[in-house]
Amino acid sequence: MVKKVRVSILACVLTVTAVLAGCSGKQEAAGGQKSGSGSGGQQQTADAGKPVEIDFWYALGGRNGEVIEEMVKQFNDTHKGIVVKPSYQGSYYENHAKVLAAVSAGNQPDVTMVEIASVGAFADAKVLQDLGPYANGEEDKYIPGLMGNSYWNDKLYAVPFNRSTPLLYVNRNKLKAAGLDPDGPKTWEELRRYAKALTKKEGGKTTTYGFSTPIDIWFYEALVFESGGNILSEDGKSVALDNEAGKAPLEFWSSLLQEGVMKAPPGEKYNAWDVAKQDFLNQQVAMIFTSTGDLHALKENATFEVGAAFLPANKRYGVPTGGANLVMLAKSSDEEKKAAWEFIKWMTDTPQTIRWSLETGYMPVTKEAVESDEMKAAYQKEPNFQVAVKQLEYAQPRPMVPGYKELQEVIMTEIQRAVLKQATVDEAIAKVVEKGEKLLKK
Amino acid sequence: MRKAVAVQEVANAQSAGALPAARFVIAERIRPYLYIAPALLFFAVFFFFPIAYVIYLSFHDWSLLNLEEIEWVGLDNFAALWEDADFRQVLANTFMYTLATVGLGIVIAFFLALWLNRRARVYGLVQAAVFSPHIVSLVSVAMLWMWLMDPQYGLLNALLEFVGLPAYTWLTDTKSALVSLIVVSLWKGVGYNTVVFIAGLQSIPRDIYEAAALDRSPWWRTLVSITVPMLSPTLFFLLVINTISSFQVFDTIYIMTQGGPVNSTNMLVFYIYEQGMDFYNGGIASAASVVLLGMVGLLTLLHFRLMGKRVHYR
Repeated sequence: MVKKVRVSILACVLTVTAVLAGCSGKQEAAGGQKSGSGSGGQQQTADAGKPVEIDFWYALGGRNGEVIEEMVKQFNDTHKGIVVKPSYQGSYYENHAKVLAAVSAGNQPDVTMVEIASVGAFADAKVLQDLGPYANGEEDKYIPGLMGNSYWNDKLYAVPFNRSTPLLYVNRNKLKAAGLDPDGPKTWEELRRYAKALTKKEGGKTTTYGFSTPIDIWFYEALVFESGGNILSEDGKSVALDNEAGKAPLEFWSSLLQEGVMKAPPGEKYNAWDVAKQDFLNQQVAMIFTSTGDLHALKENATFEVGAAFLPANKRYGVPTGGANLVMLAKSSDEEKKAAWEFIKWMTDTPQTIRWSLETGYMPVTKEAVESDEMKAAYQKEPNFQVAVKQLEYAQPRPMVPGYKELQEVIMTEIQRAVLKQATVDEAIAKVVEKGEKLLKK
Repeated sequence: MRKAVAVQEVANAQSAGALPAARFVIAERIRPYLYIAPALLFFAVFFFFPIAYVIYLSFHDWSLLNLEEIEWVGLDNFAALWEDADFRQVLANTFMYTLATVGLGIVIAFFLALWLNRRARVYGLVQAAVFSPHIVSLVSVAMLWMWLMDPQYGLLNALLEFVGLPAYTWLTDTKSALVSLIVVSLWKGVGYNTVVFIAGLQSIPRDIYEAAALDRSPWWRTLVSITVPMLSPTLFFLLVINTISSFQVFDTIYIMTQGGPVNSTNMLVFYIYEQGMDFYNGGIASAASVVLLGMVGLLTLLHFRLMGKRVHYR
């Protein structure tokens, strides 16, 4: 909890510094012009011109947010004519809501992060700029497995930026002490066995849980894929969960909770994620599911050896990719769009994506980066960083039809109902299907 | 007498020519509106126009993402709300919450006020302490209570365990989450009610109590027959204000529960926000706003009708 405060204070400070930086940047620009004309260099001012200012909204706090700020500063230092003003907007949810409000008010940013499953909703509403004419085939440099949430109606709208897959994190010390394979369980049944072995009770009170995961849509998607299923039908018009693959994850989680070897972290949305991570760091939980984007932070803050592994398989391995893409907004001027593309291109280019990956744990997004000596050396030294990239072989895009933005919340509520035993698994799935039919028709 | 003057004036005006007099009368009529025009304009722009517009929007399918595509759908949005089981739960939650926060908030504040309505430094201090939550931002309050209510590291559960009681689930269980929000709202709101009650108590004339004392009226009789009726304007004011603000609860939900777990703390305003801002269902959000407007209006009207007559204004 204390850490959370620190993070939010940090976020506030960051926002303030961002605002201050924005102001001082403007002053400098104005001052520069003044001195230029003062020294009689009429031509000088004309040449320097007025730099194009673009707003960039991002949705990562903590250390990851700091890295973004540093990268933007580097971009501004190396690109004369363009000034990017970054600002932190809260979580993905908050950022989306703010983009929505800003678009209708006409003061939208020029570039923003959009969580991958929402790209479709934004593109469908014609809020996003078609990037095709800007990219001109350059998009081939990105890893194909990360492009599944970039296209809408065959047009390129988004470029991968902070991309992830869910991972199983294990406390290797605890696994070793319990005589288990420190590389972690490979299947659901092994996960159950490990969780049992790692759960510790003292006087009727559980002091350590073997396993914990937020009951979140992203992990549910993963477990459905692992059970050989899919969330939506091929055409995206109906829910495909009314089958064994849709139900197995719920039965699995329910039974782990029933046996008292899994903790469902309290809190809604990302609060639950924070609790799971904090419990893991405090060694009150031995294994958790969370994003590869948390790798760097967990490794830095853990007092034990952190291991990352594929999400255990049911019938097969399988995960959704996750994270956010960079998009450009359709309402910006041509001049701003040109500058925005420069920025997007630079942020996701090989040198930057390598730095980004190494300092956060998110995946590098270009093919060249994965093959680079720098990444290879890093993987050698810290194999955890390569797990997500390797897991990409089994990864799928997240559903991104516009109705899914609401449907995913419906699914989340219903699976929580089932896991908390307020409804049977069958009832929960039936409700999802019923609501899904309505939402997907829109 | 006055009438005579008026008649005289009219006669004069007529004899002096009708036109200037008519102009004079019109100017007289317009003048007061001119005086209130700035305030009226403000209300029109920020109050009446939005109300009219949201009613207009509630009959359309639209989203903030793309304001150009707006489509008339008649009563479809309201029908969708009617059929939505979640919305029914949202309404039930809102009513439960309002009933509990308003009822308990007023009862607790009333007795606190009776206790604190004395002249001594201690009572002043307690009054200040009880009132202080009112001036703290609700967002900070929500964050603080989230820590207090943390099931594992929270102070509340530590206290419960210290006195040998089992830990409570607070925000993590569907059965206790709404109760937890009610607790926070009471903690935040009781101070304001108490201070208003104390002001009310102090305006009751002493001589009535002295007369009651002479008649040897027992304390409860004095309370029921003098204090409560004499306080009724205050009580009525608090009832209306508290009901309206309870109906509009948002901050604590947004920060502490996001409507969960499993919709158990989802209430009207948060539902409107979620529909409009997260799900891009502008039409549904507008329709729910109209429902909120209707309900608050109806409740206030009901209060005035039922209670208004019983309120004893001096």
